[in-house]
Amino acid sequence: MGHTSLEKIIALQRNPANIRNLCILAHVDHGKTTLADCLVASNGIISNRLAGKLRYLDSREDEQIRGITMKSSAISLLYAIGEKEYLLNLIDSPGHVDFSSEVSTAVRLCDGAIVVIDAVEGVCPQTQVVLRQAWLENIRPVLVVNKMDRLITELKLTSQEAYIHLQKILEQVNAVTGTLFTSKVLEERAEKEKEEKEEKESEASGGDQVYDWSAGLEETDDSHLYFSPDQGNVVFASAIDGWDSGMAQFAHIYSQRMGIRAEVLLKTLWGDFYLNAKAKKIMKGAQAKGKKPLFVQLVLDNIWSLYDAVVTRRDKEKVEKMVTSLGVKLMARDSRHSDPKVLLSAICSQWLPVSQAVLSMVCEKLPSPLDMAAERVEKLMSVGARRFDSLPKETQELKQAFLQCSSEENAPVIVFVSKMFAVDTKALPQNKQRPLTQEEIAQRRELARQRHADRLAANQQAENQDALPVSCPALRQPKLEEDEGTKETFVAFARVYSGVVKRGQRMFVLGPKFDPTQALSMGCSASDALPAVPHLSCCSMESLYLLMGRELEGLEEVPSGNILGIGGLEECVLKSATLSTSPACPPFTPLNFEAAAIVRVAIEPKHPSEMPKLVHGMRLLNQADPCAEVLIQETGEHVLVTAGEVHLQRCLDDLRDRFAKIEISASKPIIPFRETVVRPPKVDMVNEEVGKQQKVAIIHQVKEVSQGRLSDTLHVDSSGLVTLTTPNRLATVAVRAIPLPQDVTRLLEDSSELIRTLEQLNMSLREGRRIDVSPRTLEAITELKSQLESLLQGRKWRNTVERIWAFGPRRYGPNILLNSVEGYHRPSVWQCLVKGERSGEAPVVRDFDNSIVSGFQLATLSGPMCEEPLMGVCFSVEQWDIQSSSEPQHQDSVEEDSASHEASGDGTSTAEGTSETSAQAEGITAGPSQAKRRTEAGSVDCYGPVSGQLIAAMKDACRHAFQAQPQRLMAAMYTCEIMATAEVLGRVYGVLGKREGRVLHEEMKEGTDMFIIKAILPVAESFGFADEIRKRTSGLASPQLVFSHWEVISSDPYWVPTTEEEYLHFGEKADSANQALKYMNAVRRRKGLYVEEKIVEHAEKQRTLSKNK
Amino acid sequence: MSIFTPTNQIRLTNVAVVRMKKGGKRFEIACYKNKVMSWRSGAEKDLDEVLQTNSVFVNVSKGQVAKKDDLSKAFGTDDLTEICKQILAKGELQVSDKERQSQLETMFRDIATIVAEKCVNPETKRPYTVSLIERAMKDIHYSVKANKSTKQQALEVIRQLKESMQIQRAHMRLRLVLPAKEGKRLKEKLKPLLKVVESEEFDEELEMVKGLQGVCLVDPGCFREIDELIRCETKGRGSLEVLSLKDVEEGDEKLE
Repeated sequence: MGHTSLEKIIALQRNPANIRNLCILAHVDHGKTTLADCLVASNGIISNRLAGKLRYLDSREDEQIRGITMKSSAISLLYAIGEKEYLLNLIDSPGHVDFSSEVSTAVRLCDGAIVVIDAVEGVCPQTQVVLRQAWLENIRPVLVVNKMDRLITELKLTSQEAYIHLQKILEQVNAVTGTLFTSKVLEERAEKEKEEKEEKESEASGGDQVYDWSAGLEETDDSHLYFSPDQGNVVFASAIDGWDSGMAQFAHIYSQRMGIRAEVLLKTLWGDFYLNAKAKKIMKGAQAKGKKPLFVQLVLDNIWSLYDAVVTRRDKEKVEKMVTSLGVKLMARDSRHSDPKVLLSAICSQWLPVSQAVLSMVCEKLPSPLDMAAERVEKLMSVGARRFDSLPKETQELKQAFLQCSSEENAPVIVFVSKMFAVDTKALPQNKQRPLTQEEIAQRRELARQRHADRLAANQQAENQDALPVSCPALRQPKLEEDEGTKETFVAFARVYSGVVKRGQRMFVLGPKFDPTQALSMGCSASDALPAVPHLSCCSMESLYLLMGRELEGLEEVPSGNILGIGGLEECVLKSATLSTSPACPPFTPLNFEAAAIVRVAIEPKHPSEMPKLVHGMRLLNQADPCAEVLIQETGEHVLVTAGEVHLQRCLDDLRDRFAKIEISASKPIIPFRETVVRPPKVDMVNEEVGKQQKVAIIHQVKEVSQGRLSDTLHVDSSGLVTLTTPNRLATVAVRAIPLPQDVTRLLEDSSELIRTLEQLNMSLREGRRIDVSPRTLEAITELKSQLESLLQGRKWRNTVERIWAFGPRRYGPNILLNSVEGYHRPSVWQCLVKGERSGEAPVVRDFDNSIVSGFQLATLSGPMCEEPLMGVCFSVEQWDIQSSSEPQHQDSVEEDSASHEASGDGTSTAEGTSETSAQAEGITAGPSQAKRRTEAGSVDCYGPVSGQLIAAMKDACRHAFQAQPQRLMAAMYTCEIMATAEVLGRVYGVLGKREGRVLHEEMKEGTDMFIIKAILPVAESFGFADEIRKRTSGLASPQLVFSHWEVISSDPYWVPTTEEEYLHFGEKADSANQALKYMNAVRRRKGLYVEEKIVEHAEKQRTLSKNK
Repeated sequence: MSIFTPTNQIRLTNVAVVRMKKGGKRFEIACYKNKVMSWRSGAEKDLDEVLQTNSVFVNVSKGQVAKKDDLSKAFGTDDLTEICKQILAKGELQVSDKERQSQLETMFRDIATIVAEKCVNPETKRPYTVSLIERAMKDIHYSVKANKSTKQQALEVIRQLKESMQIQRAHMRLRLVLPAKEGKRLKEKLKPLLKVVESEEFDEELEMVKGLQGVCLVDPGCFREIDELIRCETKGRGSLEVLSLKDVEEGDEKLE
């Protein structure tokens, strides 16, 4: 590994004062990786010539092809100022918004950050994001203004203009920092006020109150936060040309030349100062006097003239003159090169090597692990809303260990793993070929030379013999690879915060919910036996690595303050974790991700037989990517959730090439819907009152009803009561569908778990078994019952809660089956609440009770609109009679009941007609069927068993009852939170409006210019939403989507214009804006159900195939 | 008949003929292609978009129009539109290319949907998605038969798919209660039909039921058989209850 030896790094790792952990952050394409290249080149790992072109840290193939970084990768570098030697653990991070999770993982491990800004583009959306991320993690940033060459060659600014431009950029950056600072101060103040208020209230003393309107901003000093060259935390650079200009260097040069003290120069180099040539004095007020500021005169002018000579004018003589005056040695081939850039970088890299200023700034300005702020430690250690003070004492003591960062043997070891990344097994150092020592290289060189000579002599035999031993290991290698080549090994990307990690050491893995108080109360200390504390497990450090970009170097131990890779953790660490030898250590606060995963796709293997491989691959992907989520849905879909389209692309590539190694296809995920009924609307589509107008067109329902009348077993009356007789005419059910109030639906949905237990209880009760129920469950059930009672008020719902027969679908869904059969007192679903004391008549369960329930379950599982589950529908069974020979007494009573029901109820004449006909039918069929049954000793006739028939009849009855009401589709909704700046607010609204979204509210975040918009968006419209909103707002708005609820789509999918006004409004076809119809047809088409659509729209416009006669 | 010259003949193109035999005579009407099915299903409501011409023929290709008295004898009316509607509704028709294509496509989807609903991946107990089944059906080159019901074909597809991928019909979960006397004997008979017996207890002290009861998973194809067996053998004293029609994993699972 080039010039930096492993031993030296190991030696330096022991001295935390000279370690700098830093990451490079910026907007996409501002030159992070190029800058990193320059820094890497300074250590001789890659050549100076290639720096900026190689992108050494972009080790993935797609990173190189696309030219963007996709993952954060670390490298350890050495840097020496004078006698002091520093170890820099540098992490390069991606700038694309899709990979901001990678930035989070990088930022967490660092103490400082280099924020890179494009000198032309200035502050961009991601720049703000990374500044915020750095701020939230309490790490100190320094600024590098990159791509200075673009100011000269592209914008063609003069040095004076460039100076003003740079000033503006700095102001922008400082403005962002300022907002972060003010919002923090305001937040703190709000908290303080709240506390004060509480205090005041507790004191309850009136008195005069003094309001403090200063907002605390004035008292808090923020000058140290800002970027300014005279503070030494800004560097101007051009990484591609390989130069940079720190203040210190120039101050050093000119102090010698002009005889002004370096400290003075350092202070005045940036700012409104100018050099009075006569007096040889630095004076203030350059702008007022129209003089060139010192910075322009001393720094920029020189660089400008160099560019002018080399790039613009290509003045050979002048270049030579400059070269000699700068004392730079130029190689002949560089000066001869036709591309002036080569010459330029050759000069610059010697005159002002980029690494020099940046690295020295980093070493001076960024904190070492020793100077970690106590505030940051507390923030890391206090999870959630818990205050640091509330943690146990042992835990608080650990803070000291953090601050000391000691590498002593007895110090507790604390390691944080921020992500897992997959490495080819063969790339691990233990599997890699040993690097050759100098002697070996010499030997091989000798061998090769000899072979070459032999070949020249055309001695074929000798060559073969010589080549044999050399090619042998090479032959063996691929075999080994084949065994392990298929495997990906996970390496944890981690940092030691305290203590020394050794190979083979056993440590606790603390899950995010782990609570140190629990572990401490158990009193476990030895890390050998795993104590039974929740969220705690054990692991051993199988191998430790030094991260060197794409390469790994094996290490024996790593002292605190360093970034390292840990192998062998894939079993116990999923994505991130805290490792410690002390159980008192709390888990670190979870990483805060700027972009949540919102782009969902369903993934399928090309060949169905490769399913297990896909599942395995997705598991690996989940572990390897901090932001990706994978899940299997109830529908059997394998869903991958990613942060954005680019991220998705990377995940798919990874799955295809590394993890699953199969052909896969990604598609739009299946969007679920629900079906429901609503109350008949009072107004029609043009807001006219229904009922007062003449109908001018045939309504759909009429047709359906008339169709229903065609079959003799089915009858639908005008109030929506559906009566259906089984094919063998033995049983009749009458069902009515009623819409449930919204609150009831929600309640049922929320308490589905409870209903499931309730159902289990009932099941066991029916069998006569007793299950011990915890009082809490009973309480919850009672609570549910009373809630239902309070929600189901009114005449229509009187006593309904007692009469609930079942819930559905699957016995715990948001639909209710109601027992309105008079004279049938079956035990209610709440029977488990009544303890044993059954008074009076014992409720009897009728035969085939189960069939009715099953029919209801089937009907609710797939509705008639598009075979999606029902929701919020109550089916009330109003009549149910069976003519069964086995139980004549039942039958009689039921018939009487039904008769009385018909008489008392508002049953129309037609309904009575059916019951009569059914009764007649029963009379006819009863005789033979009874005889038959006797002979067969079973209730089997040509239509199958009665139970089955009854299930089918009940199902059909429910479906028809459902169709008799106004049907509606329910769509799943996302709540969508969008953070956007004021200027793109309009575009956000545009995208939302286009996708049927609805804005709930928007508010401005205090102290910033960001707006927070809360909106509701149908899931069906969310595919591609994130991408669109990002594109339209150029990345200034970032949405987050969370499933929230089901919502009824107000339009009727079966709606056709019926009145004159509606015709005027919507035309004859009226299929233009019917969202519900669109959704319904899409689902039906997907499922292969019949869609009412013409195959060809216009008969005359088909292709004519006849011969031309 | 008048002289048949190019000027006084009307040539119909894109003709789909619908024929009907009534009263011993054959009647034909000339319709547009790909439209008759839409009319029958009710999607097309405009008769002019279906009929090329209002007249009823004896032979469309020869242009022989049916005689008026034949029509009124067969249909009892001489309203041509009414007769056309009758023929459209009941006559036999040529299925045009697009109609057939869309019909087969719908059936293919339908079959895939049925298979996806009925089957699970036996390893994970999770259903397959419809699109995956569709792809698998294409892989085994399954061709849809228009004259067989989709359900029948779905069962056929499941059998064929089993050879190429991990697929199985989702089991039904049943609870059997058998009287003690016949229990043992019946159990032997039931054994080959049951796939998995989840729980089984032989209990004399049960409050309501005395005998053997157990929960088991069966292939849905065997349900009828089991049902009949229990009904006949126990003379109605044993009972069978369907606990769930499909034994599948519920809820979303996060892969970790």
